[in-house]
Amino acid sequence: MRPQSLAELRDAVRDTHGTLLVKGAGTAEGWAGAPEPTDHVLETTGLAGVITYNPADMTVAVRAGTPLTALQRELADAGQRISLDPARTRATVGGLVATADSGPLRHSYGGPRDLLIGVTVVLADGTVARSGGHVIKNVAGYDLGKLLCGSFGTLGVIAEVVLRVHPLPPASRTVSIPCDATEAVEHTGRVLEARLEPAALEWCDGELLARYEGVESSVELRAAATPGGTTLSVPDAEAAWRRVAAVHDHDLVVRCGTRPSALPAVAKHATSLASSAAVGVHTLAATDVDRLREEFTQVTVLRHPPAVPAWGEPHAAVPLMRAVKRHFDPDGRLGPGRFRPWF
Amino acid sequence: MAFDVDRALLDECVHCGFCLPTCPTYVVTGDEAESPRGRIYLMDLATRGEAPVAGPVAAHLDSCLGCLACVPACPSGVKYGALIESARPQLDREVPRDRLFRAAVFALFPYPGRLRAAALLGVLYQRLGLRWLTRRSGLLDRLPARVRALEGLLPPVRMKDLLSRTKATETAGPARTVALLTGCAQRVFFKPVNDATARVLAAEGCRVAVPKGQGCCGALSLHTGRDEEARAFARRTVDAFEGYGTVVVNVAGCGSVLKEYGELLRDDPRYAERAAAFAARVRDVSEVLAGLEPVARRHPLPLRVAYHDACHLANAQGITREPRDVLRTIPGVELVEVPEEKLCCGSAGVYNLLQPDTAERLGRRKAENLASARPDVIVTGNAGCLLQIRRYAGDGPLVMHPVELLDLSIRQTGP
Amino acid sequence: MSLTDLRDELAARLGRDGIVTDPAHLRTYECDALTGYRVVPGLVALPRDAGEVAVAVAACARYRVPFVARGAGTGLSGGALPVADGVVISLQRLRRVVEVDPVDRRATVEPGVTNLDISRAAAKYGLYYSPDPSSQQVCTIGGNVAENSGGAHCLKYGFTANHILAVDVVLPDGTATRLGGDAPHQAGFDLLGAFVGTEGTLGIVTGVVVRLLHTPATVRTLVANFDSTKDAGDAVTAVIAAGIVPAAIEMMDNLAIQAVNAAVDAGFDPDTAAALIVELDGPADEVEARFADLTRLCAKATGVTIARDAEHRAKIWQGRKAAFAAVGRLSPNYFVQDGVVPRTRLGEALTRIAEMGDEAGIRVANVFHAGDGNLHPLVLYSEERGEHERAEALSTAIAELCVELGGSLSGEHGIGTDKACSMPLMFSEDDLATMRRLRAAFDPEGLCNPGKVFPTPRLCGERPGPYRPHPLESAGVIERL
Repeated sequence: MRPQSLAELRDAVRDTHGTLLVKGAGTAEGWAGAPEPTDHVLETTGLAGVITYNPADMTVAVRAGTPLTALQRELADAGQRISLDPARTRATVGGLVATADSGPLRHSYGGPRDLLIGVTVVLADGTVARSGGHVIKNVAGYDLGKLLCGSFGTLGVIAEVVLRVHPLPPASRTVSIPCDATEAVEHTGRVLEARLEPAALEWCDGELLARYEGVESSVELRAAATPGGTTLSVPDAEAAWRRVAAVHDHDLVVRCGTRPSALPAVAKHATSLASSAAVGVHTLAATDVDRLREEFTQVTVLRHPPAVPAWGEPHAAVPLMRAVKRHFDPDGRLGPGRFRPWF
Repeated sequence: MAFDVDRALLDECVHCGFCLPTCPTYVVTGDEAESPRGRIYLMDLATRGEAPVAGPVAAHLDSCLGCLACVPACPSGVKYGALIESARPQLDREVPRDRLFRAAVFALFPYPGRLRAAALLGVLYQRLGLRWLTRRSGLLDRLPARVRALEGLLPPVRMKDLLSRTKATETAGPARTVALLTGCAQRVFFKPVNDATARVLAAEGCRVAVPKGQGCCGALSLHTGRDEEARAFARRTVDAFEGYGTVVVNVAGCGSVLKEYGELLRDDPRYAERAAAFAARVRDVSEVLAGLEPVARRHPLPLRVAYHDACHLANAQGITREPRDVLRTIPGVELVEVPEEKLCCGSAGVYNLLQPDTAERLGRRKAENLASARPDVIVTGNAGCLLQIRRYAGDGPLVMHPVELLDLSIRQTGP
Repeated sequence: MSLTDLRDELAARLGRDGIVTDPAHLRTYECDALTGYRVVPGLVALPRDAGEVAVAVAACARYRVPFVARGAGTGLSGGALPVADGVVISLQRLRRVVEVDPVDRRATVEPGVTNLDISRAAAKYGLYYSPDPSSQQVCTIGGNVAENSGGAHCLKYGFTANHILAVDVVLPDGTATRLGGDAPHQAGFDLLGAFVGTEGTLGIVTGVVVRLLHTPATVRTLVANFDSTKDAGDAVTAVIAAGIVPAAIEMMDNLAIQAVNAAVDAGFDPDTAAALIVELDGPADEVEARFADLTRLCAKATGVTIARDAEHRAKIWQGRKAAFAAVGRLSPNYFVQDGVVPRTRLGEALTRIAEMGDEAGIRVANVFHAGDGNLHPLVLYSEERGEHERAEALSTAIAELCVELGGSLSGEHGIGTDKACSMPLMFSEDDLATMRRLRAAFDPEGLCNPGKVFPTPRLCGERPGPYRPHPLESAGVIERL
């Protein structure tokens, strides 16, 4: 099924029976547990395009099946962007929300949860529900958008999202500080203490990359002031950030959240690692997921061979996740197999 | 007679809660009724006749220290001081409580003669080792909490100080005359502070007069709701200082009341005008000193000094800068920062006698905060604070009045 | 359900000092900072630690007695309004700063710690806690989590939800759990994000881990005066269009300035029609370059004052932050409204509000976070002159105007009791029912702060109002199926 409008999507869910797999661009199909074969596959890519965009409001409403890159192109014309830079360039906006995916810009802008200000979702029984709205500041009602972040299509079908936008920075510079994971923790502290305010601060396989964004004169000065760093040329910088994204290309890719200072401990479990060093969010090509899980609880397996279970021991909040799932999708229609063995 | 607090004053409170973190009793209890907002709410209920005065209303108003830390914090400009001062006499009238103990306290403290006699006994008590004996024998633990509080506060007093008076000083050359309030309890327990005040003022070029016939200023009575008694003291003080210029006070609690005499005697046709004129002449000793060009040479005192803001100086009189400025005129003095510096020490007039438990919690907290700044000397401009902090600071730093430290510097002797 | 049994049990478990039962004493808990709604609770519990909170909640669950968490009681939407014969659980004795970790830049605190005390505890490391609601010296972090509190500097740095790493929660059945983790990545649903801002209806927070930021290298603040709120609004638009993201842009109109000047000597011009406070922060050269642009963009200003130093800046903010309470000096009674409009509709909103005020014969002062369209109209009235109902109607109409303009009923004060009945203007029954599913997952018995956020027949009348198309629906922005 490939609905072209919210009404068609609602009908597709409401008027069918049996299990349902929600699929965007298909870039994260195997993430977070192998989905079982379902009675229906619901593709969201027909729900594409901007709904409303008024640059002066710094918000954009967009259909969930819109690829992020397409949206970024449109915003760039008005000198703006969504401050979200995941490795998956083909992914849809809805898919990025459902997978709570993000890239190095999480250092200063967070992830989808922090940029999402409104959502329209179709529940397993065909209920169409909205939460949030079209303004950045808004505390009316529960924030269902955040609940859907990291739900991997198991709570509802995301139909539309409203995102906050930021101005495109006029200039940027990337500085490389060669260092190992242990030194990276110290360098991170130093860059932050120097109040240089990098937009991204990412350690990847032997170097700490600091990207500065802002006015030309300022990024130049800040790059030069970075302790122990060398400013990269534009092609070198692009190559360096491509290496960060390339960590996703391995066969077993894991994302985990730890205290930032645990970076060296995480690195021990990785053959390749990209880490938002000040934030403590790591993406790694893992050697042994079980051993990683013994040390850390907030571990999500993204890409994995069938033999590796996607989830480990249930953490403290899993009973609550099950309760939420029961109330949103009592018949278990959506995304069976995901979150196994938790669900 | 019903309980009645001015409606207009009550209605100024918009219930925003900005006062909560400034209130010492709220800080230690976390109970809404122990906050200024809660107390105003209770006064309001009692005024409306929706709550009896006896019970929680009286209990939570009694537990107010009257430190007025809430006043500068209030964006709506609620006159909390006026509210609590209007409530207290009504409580005294409506709710009989602690009559004997209160009567004893007020029969003793405002009267230097009686207090001196009592203090003589106290000196004997200390000298003869009776204090040691009562403490050692566990007798102290069996005394009621309030008597224990009184015992613990007794400062070390020298026999010599009890038997002499602070003398007026003369100075050569053209001099400004100031009249010193020597106080009641102050005169007995803190004669060295009075002497230091007189010496320092003289050294800075003032002629210091000590008017005869002065007694208690009425502060203790007023802050405990005994306003008739307070007015009698006020009249006597106004009379005693008639004809003098600036009135210098070295006790914050007294100073704040002296400055309120105009209000206090507003309805007394014979005194209203004189009282207002008197109030306008009152200055804390730190105000006077900060206003004078330093004349006397200061000798260095290389000390870490923690200055404790007495509530009745900082909150009631808005004096925080002057004492610090005066201390900074002493070379070598380093003023250290103290956590929770605006929190009351729990002394608050006779509060530490009437509400010993809360006073003790606050006293310990203040002592810990002060100790964390590792001072050599703690200075504070109020008799009650000096007693309270000395008690809880234990054997640590010296506790003294700012003028005493300045006096030492001028006289070139270390503390 | 027996309140007497519950009282005996809690007296035994928490001690005599741990509960409040006297009727007069209970009344001090009958409202928060929104005094228009008052309900005397059956009992107040004053637990000393997380364990005692769990004891109190478990007992309430067992006796099926509803309970309401209370922080400093500074909320402006009646979110901590007690339930009759229910229990108020005050978190004011949980006030320890457990840990400040300068290496991983976070603090672990109990819920009763004030927002500002977190920054005070972090200051010695050059760190601070970013969200800064105007009541930050009083309001507690537990309350901030419940309300997803904002503040002037949220324009650049985000709201409470963006700065909380984890919360320890006592769920409505009395069990304790932790939401969130050591970093902003959760394995599974973002339950932490879903929890923050639910106004105390999903459980009681007993511990909070917050992110700390380094204080910015440079802060520049200016106050610009304008001949009209429209000119000021245009300046804001110009700043945003220039790609500047200020740390804060605040606007006050003349009436608000008068109130502030009466309370704090912050040096605002008493004669100006509107004043903008704009603050930039960040690396020195970035700030200086942008500050030059900013000054240029305030070309229509009749006067610009640049904060001389940190002390001057603090005074300016002290004035701004005291604005709500200071209005008490202008008017015996007033309502504080809180609504949001898309930034581009600020001018229209202000014009309409002025017209509505004139029509009602009631003065409205305006203080707002201009950068994100968050309005705080202050509706001034006198109970004595019998203006209460007119003022309340005007205040509600203003919030509803915000929805009409495509905005929100609340930007930071919450829905609470105050706006629950207006929720159907912004959300359909299906929207609200879906939110209730989340609530049911956490609190199947409906014991945790009942009657808040969602409209109830008891509060709002037996029948929901007739269907009215959502304003965004009429505008073709959203479609209802």
